[in-house]
Amino acid sequence: MTEKKVLDLIRREMPKQPPEVRKFNFNEVAFGYSEELAVEEAKRCIQCKKAHCVQNCPVEIDIPAFIQCVADRNFAEGIRIIKQKNCLPAICGRVCPQEDQCEKVCTLVKKEGQLAIGRIERFLADWEARQGHVDMPEIPEWTGKKVAVIGGGPAGLTVAGDLILRGHKVTIFEALHKLGGVLVYGIPEFRLPKAIVNREVDYLKSLGVEVYTDFVVGKTQTMDSLLEEYDAAFVGSGAGLPWFMEIPGENLNGVYSANEYLTRLNLMKGYLFPTYHTPIKAHKRVAVVGGGNVAMDCARSALRLGAESRIVYRRSREELPARMEEIENAEEEGVIFDFLTLPLRYNGDASGWVKEMIVQKMELGEPDASGRRRPVPIEGSEVAVPVDAVVCAIGNSPNPLIGSTTPGLLLGKKGNIEADEETGKTSRDKIWAGGDVVTGAATVILAMGAGRKAANSIHEYLMGGDGE
Amino acid sequence: MQFESLVAVLEFAVRKEEEAAEFYTDLARSMVQPHIARIFEEFAAEEMEHKRKILIVMTGRPGWIPQARIKDLHVADIVEDVVPSSDMGYQQALILAMKAEKAAYLLYMELSSASEDDAMKDLFYLLAQEEARHRLRFEVEYDEQFSGEN
Ligand SMILES: Cc1cc2nc3c(=O)[nH]c(=O)nc-3n(C[C@H](O)[C@H](O)[C@H](O)COP(=O)(O)OP(=O)(O)OC[C@H]3O[C@@H](n4cnc5c(N)ncnc54)[C@H](O)[C@@H]3O)c2cc1C
Ligand code: SF4
Repeated sequence: MTEKKVLDLIRREMPKQPPEVRKFNFNEVAFGYSEELAVEEAKRCIQCKKAHCVQNCPVEIDIPAFIQCVADRNFAEGIRIIKQKNCLPAICGRVCPQEDQCEKVCTLVKKEGQLAIGRIERFLADWEARQGHVDMPEIPEWTGKKVAVIGGGPAGLTVAGDLILRGHKVTIFEALHKLGGVLVYGIPEFRLPKAIVNREVDYLKSLGVEVYTDFVVGKTQTMDSLLEEYDAAFVGSGAGLPWFMEIPGENLNGVYSANEYLTRLNLMKGYLFPTYHTPIKAHKRVAVVGGGNVAMDCARSALRLGAESRIVYRRSREELPARMEEIENAEEEGVIFDFLTLPLRYNGDASGWVKEMIVQKMELGEPDASGRRRPVPIEGSEVAVPVDAVVCAIGNSPNPLIGSTTPGLLLGKKGNIEADEETGKTSRDKIWAGGDVVTGAATVILAMGAGRKAANSIHEYLMGGDGE
Repeated sequence: MQFESLVAVLEFAVRKEEEAAEFYTDLARSMVQPHIARIFEEFAAEEMEHKRKILIVMTGRPGWIPQARIKDLHVADIVEDVVPSSDMGYQQALILAMKAEKAAYLLYMELSSASEDDAMKDLFYLLAQEEARHRLRFEVEYDEQFSGEN
């Protein structure tokens, strides 16, 4: 007779810096599980026969298998299992929206004790890094084929990693001076230490991936001229074109796009001035418009630079699209949340700097045909909020440069490249695409998943199939 | 503006739809990006569809279900005017369209309140509601496409 397991429903907390300390520094907030905590947490898994978690992971990691390895303290095997499907586990363990994916459907969620799958994934990746040596895979003999990868974000990095291991020559062309995409210029150090991203990039380079930085495809060279030299190309240029609300006052000084604000901080290391040469203006009262991960990152960065920081969001807390962990972190650190609030316009001072935002209160209307409750303004509820900086974090579209310089490349309404969901194949011969440039701003794991599918299709094409 | 009859009102409304369709067709031709040109072609086709609906009413057939008061998300009220340019994006295209529908709505509401004839008043009101419905279609699309994280 099999022994019945007593359910342990207590999710093990991950140790982190206390809010009153971390809000003054840019160091990583969470320390990660210790070995003991990871093993304890892993032992809570009941190894369901039908593992819903696997089905809800965009890259279908064999979750119960790696969790069991941790429970058995066989960490090397655990990380090996993850890496079969996910080449960037240290990153995904930190930034994946697990509560909407694997953890959302964990059997234990019914009793509010869902397994902390992401934290265990992160533990394994960090454990591997601590071992100090990386097993170098064998690179097959060169197939004679060359692939150009445009953009060094998670989508491009995945394609490059997958194709070099299949014997193709791979070159990444990146517009910025560093690889990593949003992982380096967007997500702040306190959530994703750049050393982790650099480690992954260095690993790819050590496999022989060639890299050109400061290379803007569409300007430095067009797709068509690259394709004279390369047998296939993958476009993973992301969604870096910020939207504004198009309301009065957005051209005042002190009104930033989230991209500009975060790039100054993360990529140019504005917070380390004068060690780094590009300071960022110290603001006293910062309002961040939006409720996604990007908005949380901006608001928490502003706080760390010494400002009073508020999130201005049109809907209620329930609808916030950011990761739950980051919302809770922001709340603990003292970010002010103005829910059901919509900026109408910004007013400036005599020298053209923003000095206040006029906001209106909203209420959620009756559900419409699609079942969504859209926020509608409450008349006469306008108030002025004093601010000296506004960061607009309402979303991004793909940059139109590659689309507009590549004849025959079919684009969607928002300038996103149209690509087959299963293969990443675009309307143009020899061109594949994936990640945010196809879907619009989404997630790291979806970008990686798209990269993997495209790499399979490109490989098949290069080896004589049709890539379909 | 003076209107002799209900038919004259409807003819006026037909002309307005035709003008709007022409406006979008011209814009489509001047766009640098083919995917934006396609958006304006779609808008033009929608205006022609509106015209078709009015023509049905003119033949006296039912087919135009009067709407209750149409919801207003007030997006058109808070965004700034867009000056048409050949490198507009989808966001600008939607703003342009919702503002045009809002302007048409306001015109019909004004004509409705200025009318002394009850039937004409009602007809203008109905036309206004129809324009409000078109405005809402653009506002909802804007809300879906450009306000996901807002
Ligand atoms: C602030 C912020 C926080 C986020 N937080 C999370 C999170 O917590 N969890 C999560 O899952 N997702 C998060 N995301 C979303 C996630 O980062 C993206 O979905 C993901 O990075 C998309 O990967 P990608 O490879 O498609 O594009 P990107 O990461 O955007 O990389 C694209 C790369 O292409 C380069 N490029 C662009 N145009 C050209 C060109 N013409 N020539 C050459 N190179 C070019 C860019 O410089 C960039 O390096 C966040 C995004 C932001 C901005
Ligand atoms: S659903 Fe939950 S309990 Fe079941 S295998 Fe997955 S993580 Fe473990």
